[in-house]
Amino acid sequence: MRTRTAGLLCLAALLSGAPAAWARIKLAALPARERVEIQLDNGRYTLVEEERIVPLLTSTAKAGNNRIDFSWSNTRIDKDSIQFRPLAVREGGKFRPIRKIDGQDEVSVINVAYPPGENALVWEVYARQACAVKVRVSYLIGNLTRSFSYRALADKDEKILTLKKYIQLRNYSGEEFGTAGIWAGFGPKFLKPVGQQEDIKILLERFKDVPIQKTYTFDWYAHGRLNADKPLCSKVLMHYVLVNDEKHQMGKFPLQPGKVRIFIQDGRGGEAFLGEDWARLTPLDDEMRLYLGEARDVVCKRIVKENRRHSVRGNLFHQEVLVQFEVENFKDKPVTLDMIVQMNRLAKQYGASPHGDAEWELGDRTSKAIRVSTTKHGGARPVLSVDLPARPKDKDEKVKKHTFLFHVTIRNLW
Amino acid sequence: MKRYAIIAVLAGAALAGPAAAKNVDLVTLPKRNTVQLTIYNSEDITLVKETRSVTVKKGANELQFSWANTLIDPTSVEIRPLDHADQIEVADTVFPGQKPQHLIWSIDSQFEGQVKVEVSYFTSGLTWSMDYVSIVDPPEEKMQFRGYVRVFNRSGEEYADAEVRLIVGTINLVEKIADLARRRGIPVPQPTVAPGGLRREVLQKSMAAAEQAARRAPLAAKPKAIVKEGLSEYFMFTVEGTETIRNGWSKRMRAVRADEVKFDIVYRMRSYQYGPRPVRFFLWRNDDEHKLGESPLPDGRVRIFRDNGRDGLSFLGEQQIRYVPVKAEIEVNLGSDDLVVYETQRMSVKRLNFQFDHGAVVGWDEQSAWVDTVRNYRTKPIAFELRRQWNGDVEYESEMKTTLFDYRTIEAKFPVDARGKKQYPCTVMIHHGRNAKQSRIRLKRSR
Repeated sequence: MRTRTAGLLCLAALLSGAPAAWARIKLAALPARERVEIQLDNGRYTLVEEERIVPLLTSTAKAGNNRIDFSWSNTRIDKDSIQFRPLAVREGGKFRPIRKIDGQDEVSVINVAYPPGENALVWEVYARQACAVKVRVSYLIGNLTRSFSYRALADKDEKILTLKKYIQLRNYSGEEFGTAGIWAGFGPKFLKPVGQQEDIKILLERFKDVPIQKTYTFDWYAHGRLNADKPLCSKVLMHYVLVNDEKHQMGKFPLQPGKVRIFIQDGRGGEAFLGEDWARLTPLDDEMRLYLGEARDVVCKRIVKENRRHSVRGNLFHQEVLVQFEVENFKDKPVTLDMIVQMNRLAKQYGASPHGDAEWELGDRTSKAIRVSTTKHGGARPVLSVDLPARPKDKDEKVKKHTFLFHVTIRNLW
Repeated sequence: MKRYAIIAVLAGAALAGPAAAKNVDLVTLPKRNTVQLTIYNSEDITLVKETRSVTVKKGANELQFSWANTLIDPTSVEIRPLDHADQIEVADTVFPGQKPQHLIWSIDSQFEGQVKVEVSYFTSGLTWSMDYVSIVDPPEEKMQFRGYVRVFNRSGEEYADAEVRLIVGTINLVEKIADLARRRGIPVPQPTVAPGGLRREVLQKSMAAAEQAARRAPLAAKPKAIVKEGLSEYFMFTVEGTETIRNGWSKRMRAVRADEVKFDIVYRMRSYQYGPRPVRFFLWRNDDEHKLGESPLPDGRVRIFRDNGRDGLSFLGEQQIRYVPVKAEIEVNLGSDDLVVYETQRMSVKRLNFQFDHGAVVGWDEQSAWVDTVRNYRTKPIAFELRRQWNGDVEYESEMKTTLFDYRTIEAKFPVDARGKKQYPCTVMIHHGRNAKQSRIRLKRSR
């Protein structure tokens, strides 16, 4: 059964008779929707715009003005948001803009009346002469929402992927819309019928050949020890990193938050599911990091080889720490491992408060192979990047354990 | 049930005669000639003035006034003759104990014949509010601005063909009119129309009433003008002509119209006020330059739409604005914008100037270098305003022009090019412990 929905009733003819007569005899035109647009560009509100052709009678002193009744039921229309705008008048089979005649619009809204206890309103509309008018009724509606989702398909080498962005429309508004124009605020506009209690998933954009960077990240303080057997190891997390810019075949618009399902080509024409993650809002030029899971073929062990307290004066001291990372790459490809050092946590480990972000300086015993970056997470969380070669091709050759030293002095602790 | 407040003339009143009836009345029912509603929006109070014609005889007369099932304040009901005022005097007013919502005026008259009188009273349940709709053009440079008054009638009474005046401003009441109306055990009237099926009938009745009014009054060929005038500390909007507002209904009429109103767009970054992302503001003034300024703009919700250039509108946002005096600025916050990105990052930190007491650190300075970056992906340059709070004893330095908004808040305003990026670097020295002597920011240098 079709749910009762918004309706427009033109009661112009009712006014011409005496009140006692028209109370018993009703004549009303029911203008159908000519066009519907669903505007989803505002994340919090959904705007519906519908156009109808409304027949109007000439406003006269005797007959009064036209009255147009708009009512709805079982629909969450924000009553105060409803706008009624006459757009054009039909003349000779075509519509032309509304004219001003003697300084007045030939069709204009005089007022709106709201009956008590009802989802309805009545517009009083002046018409200089009887005509068919194209009007647009706009309103905000609840329970007609949108969300976004993505499907990423990486090539077998994990160098590029195809990212598809979908918009999912959920219509639980109580209203159904024949063929509605749907616009998300960017990308193409779609013409789709939107039924009641329907979920519609529409492909908004397809980004092909998007270069990806696969990252491996080790963060001891975020994840702790791997297990009791390997107390000095911790998780190595894998991410795909996509950059939302033109250089990376994207950069058309910000990418809204949504679930990303990640697949990979399996080399036999099929696909394998790699996992899924929630993508955050990714503005233009920003990175979208998609978590893939834990890497089992990249192993990293962290050993604090030395720590020494250098007293400065009173309870003030510098803490010198030498951390050794032992890394093995069992993969058949070279990888880059990013090791995050949380300086504030490191300082606290030695019984001191950094009193804000830790002040530190790199020691000269730090391995040359380490690239230190503070731009990604700020000075308190430097990222140490190291390149690891692929595992040896020779079956008898063991995987090399790469050792890197990170020498740091955290200054002015107490 | 009839809810009308009526005037009854007790014909040939014999105040103390032996044949005086206690419970049996014979009355005539003079109609309202005119009615004027002055509705306040700061309090639930409306001043009603109505004129009626009554016939009096020489000597003592009685006029009865009743207001069943309405929210009239009995203490406010007054009558005054508009004709022969020097010959007619109200001797006393009696509120009969057995008849709630009644009063009887004793009138001494030296005149005999028809007299026009004005009855005035305060009632509750008539209110009005304002709302605004702006439609911005596609390049977001000018807007069409409309203000609407909406009058609500929940008073229990029906006012046909009433002159409607709306007062903008705050008044002081020591007692609520609704409380005064209820004080004598009067129930609060509910809307007369049951939800659902009766609406059409009521609509038809309303249309009939409007139709009758239309036959009496000239045809409304355009939205009625709302005449605005200043009145002491208040502003009065008077709806042109008369309006019929049925009990339980509300009516919305256009009160402000301005086309091609220029406005500015400013992005504000104030994390302590608006959250972690910059928010977009539309700013304009209630003045001649912006084709407004005819009157203050009362409190109301502003809804902003944008002509999306594809034969439709986009909804940008809405906000409740407070009373806007003439020439004052109107600000509407449209929320965050995905095309403008702000980031702040501490690039370095250093602690120095330690003070000790018995070997313990008791004072120090912390020097940090920060870089704030604004990225604008819009196709137009934007104006960006940054305010950031720093607590404690702070020395602040930036290469870019920076001012103090208050003792703990810096302010910097700068443009960001279309599809461009702007960096705002600064160095902040915070004195901690015993090094902190003040609680304020001192700007060390500003271009």
